[in-house]
Order: sequence, then C-alpha cells, then structure tokens
Amino acid sequence: MTDKQLDTSDLDGLVLRELSSLPSLAPSRGFQDRVMARVTLPRPAAVVLMQRAGAWALQPRRAVALATAYATCVLATILLAGPWIAAHAGLAVLGASWVAGHVGAAALAIASWGVRSGVVGALRTFAGTGLRLWATVATAAIAYAASGYGLHVLLKAPRRSDELARTL
Amino acid sequence: MPSAKDLQSLGDREIVALAKAGKEIAYRELLRRYERPVFSLVYRMVRDRTLAEDLAQETFIKVLNALDSYRPEYKFSSWIFKIANNAAIDHLRRRELDTLSLDGSPDARTADEVAATALQATDHAESPLEELESRETGSAIERAIGRLRPEYRTCILLRHVEGRSYEEIADVMDLPLGTVKTYIHRARLELREYLADLRT
Repeated sequence: MTDKQLDTSDLDGLVLRELSSLPSLAPSRGFQDRVMARVTLPRPAAVVLMQRAGAWALQPRRAVALATAYATCVLATILLAGPWIAAHAGLAVLGASWVAGHVGAAALAIASWGVRSGVVGALRTFAGTGLRLWATVATAAIAYAASGYGLHVLLKAPRRSDELARTL
Repeated sequence: MPSAKDLQSLGDREIVALAKAGKEIAYRELLRRYERPVFSLVYRMVRDRTLAEDLAQETFIKVLNALDSYRPEYKFSSWIFKIANNAAIDHLRRRELDTLSLDGSPDARTADEVAATALQATDHAESPLEELESRETGSAIERAIGRLRPEYRTCILLRHVEGRSYEEIADVMDLPLGTVKTYIHRARLELREYLADLRT
C-alpha cells in the first residue's frame, strides 16, 4: 500500500468520522407550539356532521323554511286527524281520558311533591311582599328580552363583517 | 387515551393513525421525533438559522395538515424529508435566480438600460456572514458540506448524518438508486479533497 493510498483511506475515514459526529441541531423554543397553532386537527365525523347541520339550519332562509315545514307538518297532522277523530269519537274519548288521567295523576304528583318539599310555601312567601313580586316580574321580563335578542341573533341575515370574521 | 410516553414506543405508522383520529398528542410526538432531523437537514442546506426555521415550520405544517393523503406503504420519514428537501432546494433555486449574472435585458439599447437590467454576478463562495455562521457552527466539515452542490449535500447529509438507507434517499430525492450512490461517492470525494487542502 503506497503512502498516497494510505492518505486517501485516512482522509476517507476522517470524512466519515466528521460527518457522523455532526451535532443534531434543534430549532428555537416554542417551535412545536408555533407549528401546532397552524395545524388543523381532524374532528370526529359525527361532530363535523352535527356542526354542518347546525350551520346549515341556522342560515335565516333555511331556518324559516324549516319552521314553515314544521308548522305545515303539525297543521297537516291536525287536519288529517280531525276527520279520523270525528269518525272514531268513542275511541278518541277513551284515548283522551286515558291521557288526561295520566297527565292529571302526574300533575297531582308534582303538586303534592311541591307542597311536601316546601317549594310552594317558599314561592308563596317570596311573592308575599310587593317588592319581591316586582323583582320576579322584572327577572321574567329580562329573561323574555334576552330570549328575544337570542332569537334575533340566530335568525338575522348574515353580514359582510360576519363573513370576514369566519374567514379569519 | 395513550400518554406521551406510550407513544414513544410506537412506530411512525401507528402514530400517524392516531393523529388521523384527531389525537393532538400524536401530532406532537411526530414533531418531537422529526423536528431535529428536519431542522438539521434544512439548516445545513440553506445555512441560515431563521430561514431554516421558517422552512422547517412550513414543512411540518404542510405534512401535518395533509396527513389524510399520507399512504402507509410509504415511509413517513421519507415523506417528511422529501418535503423538507424540496422546500430547501426551491429556496436555493430562487436565491440563485435572484443573484444570477445576466448581461442585461436583450431589449436594452443604451448602456444605461443594459446596466439597469443587468444583475450582479455571484459565485458559490460563502459571503463573510455565511463564513462567520459556518465558523460558529463549528467544524471544517460544515464548511465543506456548504460548498457541495445541493443534491450532493442532501445525499451526504441523509446518508452519513441521518443514517438513512440508499433506497430511502432515492425515494426522498426521486432519483435512481445508482445516481444516489454516485452522488454520495462524488460528495465524499469532494469533502476529502477539501479536507486534504486544509491539511496542506
């Protein structure tokens, strides 16, 4: 083996040693968080479906269409049920009395629970003074107003600013 | 729900499957596994820390947002290295175009127009800043790697720094196996010559 060959193999070994000893470099702190902030995690299919259905139904025109369809269904059921009830009056009365009996029993149970547990007494005491009565009326009025505002927000027509906010 | 420690014993494919199911912990495990190799590769390609971090970040964002398109028969490491390498090579090509020497636009008629449309010539030697950076990075071998052609650089880094197989490097670079072997052989030859120059 000549000196030149020895030199070459030495150098080759040196190159390989130097390469394998190169340190593994790390990015700066917070790299993972910066990446994760821009990664969209997949969501379960059921959640995606529910959100899509919700978003679809909350579009004002679709919400009105759904409400109309619902009202039509109820009305159609009543219209169809009317003649049938008229034709089967005995059966209808029997059914109605059965339902009324159960509803009455349930109402009675709730009322007796209210009396036994003291809820009715507490309500009576609370409504006893004029000031408390006004406080109850005011709370109910605020709750109605909040519900109305909520409905307004849900059913309002989308604006350009909403679209922009959604795309950001 | 597996813990971060449980995930460390799993293979890349299993981790990707968990990530596809929406487990954030699996995403973080992939990041933990590959942030250093990807950043090291990109940094040694572009030799600029801030830029390398940007390119590595873009690589991860692209990969993690496209996990649905990942095919399990392909190695995950090959996929991520391929995207990182492409990002680095694209950047180097753009930088080369920006500084490529031209004798001015062919439509230029006056000397002023020629001067205005001509671009400055640059050679492949390191700028003083790059030289300083490579000295900070440490060794002569870092400087020698910086002088290699980008394709040779990728091959030698993946083979001898990251310990990847020739077949995987061929996958990463979309090159025939023989070409990869030739590139690595030539790169080692150039590194040897450079180190020999330093010794004399």
